[in-house]
Amino acid sequence: MNERRDVEVIGRPAREWVPGGVAAAALASAMFGMLTLAVVNLFTAAFAGFNAWVHWVGKLWMPGADGIGPYSGKETLALIAWLGSWAVLHLAFRKKDMKISRCLIVFLIGVGIATTLVWPPVFEHLAELIAGH
Amino acid sequence: MSVLHENHEMREASPRSLIAVVAIMIGSALAFTLATAPFTKLLGAGAGAVPAALHGMTAFLYLFVGTIGLYLGWRLLTGRIRAFADLQLLATVAATFSFLAICFGNWLYIYYRAPVPDSPRSYFVKNVPPVHKIFFEFKEFTGLFTLPLMVCAAFLLTKYGTQVLERPWLRYTIAALIGLAFFYLVVAFGLGAAVTKLKPA
Repeated sequence: MNERRDVEVIGRPAREWVPGGVAAAALASAMFGMLTLAVVNLFTAAFAGFNAWVHWVGKLWMPGADGIGPYSGKETLALIAWLGSWAVLHLAFRKKDMKISRCLIVFLIGVGIATTLVWPPVFEHLAELIAGH
Repeated sequence: MSVLHENHEMREASPRSLIAVVAIMIGSALAFTLATAPFTKLLGAGAGAVPAALHGMTAFLYLFVGTIGLYLGWRLLTGRIRAFADLQLLATVAATFSFLAICFGNWLYIYYRAPVPDSPRSYFVKNVPPVHKIFFEFKEFTGLFTLPLMVCAAFLLTKYGTQVLERPWLRYTIAALIGLAFFYLVVAFGLGAAVTKLKPA
């Protein structure tokens, strides 16, 4: 017996099939944002000059960036990477029907790497290796 | 005594006027309280008391919304969701709370890392270094992860609409986004609460 499901939805139902590329772009850009944050943090720990430059980036626009410190620049660069890549990828993929399963797997791997890189014992050790200490 | 005069006195008070009276009384009491209550005693004497209260409040509300969203995300994952509109709404609300908690957290961070001996950061680095160097530093970044995750989930739920229900991998993706965001939220919330317990800003 077919069960009729009454499901309430916000907004009008999409009339056209939305390709998987739209989801792929959103996922990929979120992953890039998180990875950018992790990598920028790693290199600020490795190089004092880069750390100062990142702080300068934050001070360009963020209120209170002097008190927030280089964290303001890390947030800024992550935000640019996330939203900037989303704009580009959305335009590139919005009409492509991509396999969401593969996108999800790549996304989860990227998020796992980003999470590992922001764990302080990991990034501090890597920073020492990169800086050659 | 005229009949007209009697009818005028017998009219009942309208519900609107009763509600207005209650609202004015409660509003007056609140205004009086806000104007005279010693909130510094309630929030604490630290300079970061106000941003700490706002950051904590938005994080707590986000946790509340995120928990309900997590359940609905699980229902979505298993293909048994009915309150899809609620999930769409909650994902948007959660993304907004994430943004607000991050903004207030940035404000609070100024007081956390103030270059004075009494700031929480200075205190931890001197007395219990792992609290800052490991736990707080991890919280700083995992808290930020919640924003792109929830914005992505809310976007997919809105853009695809009911097509989500017909595409299993899209359901799994949105459920994964919500689950991951909840994980990072709990990490950031727990570590933040612990830091506040150890040394308020």
